[in-house]
Amino acid sequence: MKMEEMSLSGLDNSKLEAIAQEIYADLVEDSCLGFCFEVHRAVKCGYFFLDDTDPDSMKDFEIVDQPGLDIFGQVFNQWKSKECVCPNCNRSIAASRFAPHLEKCLGMGRNSSRIANRRIANSNNMNKSESDQEDNDDINDNDWSYGSEKKAKKRKSDKLWYLPFQNPNSPRRSKSLKHKNGELSNSDPFKYNNSTGISYETLGPEELRSLLTTQCGVISEHTKKMCTRSLRCPQHTDEQRRAVRIYFLGPSAALPEVESSLDNDSFDMTDSQALISRLQWDGSSDLSPSDSGSSKTSENQGWGLGTNSSESRKTKKKKSHLSLVGTASSLGSNKKKKPKPPAPPTPSIYDDIN
Amino acid sequence: MVVSKMNKDAQMRAAINQKLIETGERERLKELLRAKLIECGWKDQLKAHCKEVIKEKGLEHVTVDDLVAEITPKGRALVPDSVKKELLQRIRTFLAQHASL
Repeated sequence: MKMEEMSLSGLDNSKLEAIAQEIYADLVEDSCLGFCFEVHRAVKCGYFFLDDTDPDSMKDFEIVDQPGLDIFGQVFNQWKSKECVCPNCNRSIAASRFAPHLEKCLGMGRNSSRIANRRIANSNNMNKSESDQEDNDDINDNDWSYGSEKKAKKRKSDKLWYLPFQNPNSPRRSKSLKHKNGELSNSDPFKYNNSTGISYETLGPEELRSLLTTQCGVISEHTKKMCTRSLRCPQHTDEQRRAVRIYFLGPSAALPEVESSLDNDSFDMTDSQALISRLQWDGSSDLSPSDSGSSKTSENQGWGLGTNSSESRKTKKKKSHLSLVGTASSLGSNKKKKPKPPAPPTPSIYDDIN
Repeated sequence: MVVSKMNKDAQMRAAINQKLIETGERERLKELLRAKLIECGWKDQLKAHCKEVIKEKGLEHVTVDDLVAEITPKGRALVPDSVKKELLQRIRTFLAQHASL
């Protein structure tokens, strides 16, 4: 070995050059061979022609390079004029405003869920007749409402009170209730427009009063409608609210306190008494399922009148006028709604009701 | 005399190859060549040529031998001069280093 290497130095340049060329050719051959193996494998595995596309589709997806267009050839700011239709209230909203609107409209926020629920509950209680029961179920379920999770839990604990006494899904109950609510809606001229506010001209004094205890109620200058937001609605000031109340209810009416009108889940004796009396009523109707509708309604009314005072006190938040107009709806709504605690403040308004 | 010279020549080549592999220079050169060939588009050109060949023969009938026979001459011809020069230069310096031992 040593000998041969020594002899290398004795080689002339042409010999060295020949060897260099040989090594180079060897290397290139190696590369070619490696490439051939690669291609062969790709062919046999079927991925060799994968990156091929036919020229037609290549033409279709050519990158567009023109002023005012994006690379797909679309006008790039056309989304600005896009409008979405809200699935809840069917209004069309600019796409950039859609998410905030949906949050409010569906009631996903902390505050807005209360507002939205109240709004829907109001419109259902006052407007609907046949589907009342099911809708109330949905609304009070609140499973889909992120913000009202706590509320829902509370409600569950409330249901513990109800469960032994009644089954909210009992078909007999809902049937009689539907019947009653149907009567009620015929006699109730109250019109409630969920999306635009309330035209106060159509309201009776009781409805006005209940509205003003639950909602902002300030009359818009443009639409002449009442604001249907909560009492704390940021669009209007307390001054405006007070003015509206004085205008409608007289100088004795003050701004009702917001806190007292919110749910606070205490349970008092009148509630349990009402439940017991309802239980008795349930039992009686169980015993005579073939009762005619009229006898049922009279029964219901009798019961409703008997508990009228406690009912209206508990649910004066939005149903006090109903308990005066027709007792059945207060029965129905009370069953689904949480019992409202007696609200001690703002005696001037509530004294009028009672 | 001629036979012994031929023998000596072959022995020398074997010794040089041995040295190339032992020092790892061959591996380095191969890697360099690969990188350079990809860089200059040799691989893409060859791939295009491959596609023609394969389409001609049909996807199922392609063998490695066919490919090598078709591709190697083309591949050798397509190596750019700059790459060839650089590689030869490196081989020469290697030979010079080890010839002087």
